[in-house]
Amino acid sequence: MEGVSPVATPRLRRLSETLFSRLIFGLPGAGFATMLLIVGTTLWLAGRSQQFSALVNHTYQVETQVADLRVLFERTEAGRRGYLISGESFYRDVFDQTWRQIPPAIDELARLTLDNAAQRDRITSLRPQMQILMQQMSLSVERARTGDLEGGRKLFLEEANGPQITGIRQLLSEMQNEENRLLALRNERQVSNARLLMGVVTGAGALLAVLALSSLLIMRRYARDLQRSQAELQVLNRGLEEAVRERTADLTRANEEIQRFAYIVSHDLRSPLVNVMGFTTELELASQPLKALVARAETVAPEIVTKEARAAVDVDLPEAVGFIRASTQKMDRLINAILQLSRQGRRTLRPERLSVRRVVETAATSMRHQLDEKGAVIEVEGDPPELVSDRLAIEQVFSNLIENAVKYLKPGRPGVVTVRGRVQAGRAIYEVQDNGRGIDPKDHERIFELFRRSGAQDQPGEGIGLANVRALVYRLGGTITCESELDRGATFRLSLPLSMAPEQGIAA
Amino acid sequence: MTDHKPVTIVMIEDDEGHARLIERNIRRAGIFNEIKHFRDGSSGLEFLFKADAGPVLNGPALILLDLNLPDMSGTDILARIKGHEVLKRTPVVVLTTTDDKVEVQRCYDLGCNVYITKPVNYEAFAEAIRQLGLFLAVIQVPEAAP
Repeated sequence: MEGVSPVATPRLRRLSETLFSRLIFGLPGAGFATMLLIVGTTLWLAGRSQQFSALVNHTYQVETQVADLRVLFERTEAGRRGYLISGESFYRDVFDQTWRQIPPAIDELARLTLDNAAQRDRITSLRPQMQILMQQMSLSVERARTGDLEGGRKLFLEEANGPQITGIRQLLSEMQNEENRLLALRNERQVSNARLLMGVVTGAGALLAVLALSSLLIMRRYARDLQRSQAELQVLNRGLEEAVRERTADLTRANEEIQRFAYIVSHDLRSPLVNVMGFTTELELASQPLKALVARAETVAPEIVTKEARAAVDVDLPEAVGFIRASTQKMDRLINAILQLSRQGRRTLRPERLSVRRVVETAATSMRHQLDEKGAVIEVEGDPPELVSDRLAIEQVFSNLIENAVKYLKPGRPGVVTVRGRVQAGRAIYEVQDNGRGIDPKDHERIFELFRRSGAQDQPGEGIGLANVRALVYRLGGTITCESELDRGATFRLSLPLSMAPEQGIAA
Repeated sequence: MTDHKPVTIVMIEDDEGHARLIERNIRRAGIFNEIKHFRDGSSGLEFLFKADAGPVLNGPALILLDLNLPDMSGTDILARIKGHEVLKRTPVVVLTTTDDKVEVQRCYDLGCNVYITKPVNYEAFAEAIRQLGLFLAVIQVPEAAP
């Protein structure tokens, strides 16, 4: 970063705005999607796991049932053997007890293994074998019970190593093996399911971690960019303030210079004008004796009076003097106008609270004579807002606008000048409206320029009033516009700050 | 004016035309005192302070002073006159085109006796000068020599 001007920081270094916004919304979105995926997968896997453990439990149950049946069977057999060998009734009781439990145990096992075709087949082949064996067993025990122990033993020895016992044992261990196989298989499935669950959670966790980390990195980078931009902005801002201050100083200086210039020019222009006027009069005075001389010569010696001499004295000289005088007087008025404007610009404004109604009424009073003469009235509509501004300037603005309105009324139409005002967006808006002869729209800007006038030049004036008004309004921090059509009256609209900012410069 | 010594009118005015018009109108008012005309500040001051016929060394005077001079400001000349022990009693009439309020105040502060703005309107101008002439005819001017 060092050595690179902050203003010229290449854009490449920064995340582009679009990329950033894509990332800032994309990363949490991806995170959220991952979470959803994890939850879904976990739910699914948990469901599977539950299913698997139910199966495992079932297998255990079957296995237990098989084992129970086996024990019952062996105990029955052991009870019979014990009885047949010893003749002890204890063994017979064991036999009696267990022998009866075998059929329900087989039924229970059949119920449990309904879902397994292979086991079902085994039970189907188990049932007849068991029935035969149990008949033989019960036969041998019954014989012994009736006292023929020997007969019982004989029967026992006959069938002891018969196919039923081995067959039953074979079937039961097959069933046990089958269940063991199933158990191993189901356990295996459950383990892999758990492993899968762990894998998914671990993977998703890693993905989340990556997402979080990259979000964090992007945020950090963005924050850094933001900080840098702010620092740059601050620098630029400071530069801007400085520039504004310099420009303002320049403008103030330029303005002061113009004021001084206008002032000096008008004074220095006045000086030669005094001569022109003075000597014009002297010329006139000097032409009197000449005129008398010519007149006398006419009577005394008419032949020496030429036509040219008479014309010079009677027409040319007075005419020339008249033109010089008129032009000089006009020039004097123009210079005075410039001087007045320049003075206006040099005067220090003093803001104070003003009632515009009173200002207008004062102006109307001072114009009473003109108003009576023209049969015009001035009306203040509603309650125009008060404002804090320079009294003299405001008085001048309003009296100028009202004077103008009265001056350019339409002959033959009773003049009405209306002043109204309102507050709009923190500024005071005033309107001076008349029903006079109006102003051609193409002149709406021109009338505010110095020495420019509009319409029929049938009223005295130099085109100073509105220029002065606009200069004043600008100085007060306001604007003025004109709205008018020929023959339809005119409305001058002023927009002024409700409270004038105290002045900083340009004191005379 | 005084019977003993005629009062000299010292006119410091750079504009030849103005000087001529002023002189004419003073004469028309019936004032025939000597009028000494200087076109710039330096020569005017030279006469006022150093000339044998000047008011410091000899005779009473009345000064007509223009403010806009090519070589120095009329107010400086006024300050010099009013700062001089003898000359300060000499009446000074400032006769100039400037009617700036601040300038008028400054001249009176410096001790100017009369301030007249030259009207552009010649009738008014002539009238003002003639009245000045009448004024000159009645005022008492102190003897210059102590």
